[in-house]
Amino acid sequence: MEILINAVTLGSLYLLFALGMSVAWGTIGILNFAHGSTFMFSAMVAYYTVQMVALPMWAMILLGAAVGMVLSVLTQALIFNFILRRNPDLLKAEMQIVVGGIGAASVLLAIAQHYTKSVPFGFSASTFKTTTYQLGAIHISNVQLVILVAAFGLAGLAAWWLKSARAGLALRAIGVNPEVASLMGVDRGRMALGTMAAAGALAGTAGILLTYYLGSIAAETGDSFLISAFAAIILGGIGSVIGVVVGSMILALAETLVVTQLSGTWASAVAFGLIFVVLLFLPRGIFGRKEVRRT
Amino acid sequence: MIGWYEANIVLIEATFLNFLLALSIQVPLRVGVFSFAGVGSYGLGAYTAAILTIRYDVPAFVAIGAAVVFAAVVGYLFSLIVARLNGLYLAMATIAFVLIISVLATNGGELTGGANGLYGALSDLTTGGVVAVCVVVAFLLALTERGPLRRRIEAVREDPELSMSMGIGVVTVRQLAFTVSGALGACAGAMNALLRTTVSPEEINFHLIVLALTMVIIGGSRSWMGAFIGAVIFTWLPSMLATTGRWQDVVYGLIIILAAIFMPTGLLGLVQSLYQKLRGRSRTAAPAEPPAEEAVEERAMLQALSGESKEGVR
Repeated sequence: MEILINAVTLGSLYLLFALGMSVAWGTIGILNFAHGSTFMFSAMVAYYTVQMVALPMWAMILLGAAVGMVLSVLTQALIFNFILRRNPDLLKAEMQIVVGGIGAASVLLAIAQHYTKSVPFGFSASTFKTTTYQLGAIHISNVQLVILVAAFGLAGLAAWWLKSARAGLALRAIGVNPEVASLMGVDRGRMALGTMAAAGALAGTAGILLTYYLGSIAAETGDSFLISAFAAIILGGIGSVIGVVVGSMILALAETLVVTQLSGTWASAVAFGLIFVVLLFLPRGIFGRKEVRRT
Repeated sequence: MIGWYEANIVLIEATFLNFLLALSIQVPLRVGVFSFAGVGSYGLGAYTAAILTIRYDVPAFVAIGAAVVFAAVVGYLFSLIVARLNGLYLAMATIAFVLIISVLATNGGELTGGANGLYGALSDLTTGGVVAVCVVVAFLLALTERGPLRRRIEAVREDPELSMSMGIGVVTVRQLAFTVSGALGACAGAMNALLRTTVSPEEINFHLIVLALTMVIIGGSRSWMGAFIGAVIFTWLPSMLATTGRWQDVVYGLIIILAAIFMPTGLLGLVQSLYQKLRGRSRTAAPAEPPAEEAVEERAMLQALSGESKEGVR
């Protein structure tokens, strides 16, 4: 039971992190490799702020989301937009976008390593204190509760918005066919900025919550999270919200089971072996749509 | 000059090894396959060569040859498994392959030396040998970049369905790309293990994938020269930037960003288009401007494609 709760918590963190990345990838076609660094950088900015002012948890989350949003919008406006302007064909620009994201990620990582000297940092100066509740046989901490509520609430909100809101429809239209969507009056640039802002805010939130959950994170944590999120997205199918939820949970459950039942060094092998097997039988992920764009 | 060579021998060797590693990513990219399996083969090759050298004390070329053949076979088998995958789904499967190899090496017990890796793989491999292998590889790849073979490869990349209907064995070409990629990656890994006399599982990580991809994209993804330019840049840039002191990594990242924005065809493509522009300007004096080289090539490619299948059509 304890293991299940831990797995779901980890899965929720993956979900928060991967949700924005998956939606951005599946709709506006931007695979942002700087997502992991955005996530880590938000936590770092929050850390330096909390060293000066003892903030409560909600303020920290808002701060992290704001920093993530600003970073993500800057990446979009300063790098991806320039690449797309010089190379309007999205398919050809895909590699350039990946490499540009890698560049942005290494800039953010280098700045963070410079300030933190690669020493892990945590939010011990925050006014928030961890407590554990007992519900029958279940132990659950208040951090875990916040993570679960935030992840499922935001994923539900995103799914509803994409399905029902007019802007969500426009965004999905871009994902199906950008040219036709533009002809129908969808402002692609503005939608892209908005999507990246939301994705960045989700990454920032995930960064703050992970730091509260683990106690401390290091500058390099963003990288390993990026690979896991990438795996979760592919597992579930690109662009599908329910796919990200299922992918994150499966990945977290597999990793947690291996760490607790086998040994820690095998964790990633089993996780990636699982992805491998799923892809062999379902080449577009569990909930992947068929052939949205030619790749 | 000799003093400079002696002082930078490690970087010079690393340039050639990175060149081979970049090629192992570039070869599949040229036929339109997004595969990082070459980085996994790098690990396979490094371990195979190190184990053979430490246990059986074989000469360097035997160790490297065995590593290359082994990884090529693995690459071929891998291509059969992932035949149904495409695009970034395939990329993810190959990343999984790379990371699984790293974990296998960590848990390999006595055979792979566990998390510490293997030490003391002393052999008779020299820098000259590395350069010779690179020259041969570059020459063979240059042969695939001209004539009918080049047109076939480009057709497979740009439009697999069309080339299949033209009678090009797309599946065979892709399997071949995986096999060659495995051999090249293993060659780089094996020579690296023998030159440094050590190999550890930490070497085969996500950063190696990112490095290989960046080298190819920034150098140029269409020709072996692009991979070489990328290898030179990314081997020497960090040590050049050491003079900028504490902000070295920030400058490094900024350079990657600028390259991604301003050089969509890589450094090689930039140089080639500049060269063509210069040549075109000197010719504008003539009244009938000759069509751009690209257009000629494209027409030749179409002609060749239709020529190859003419008999089937008529």
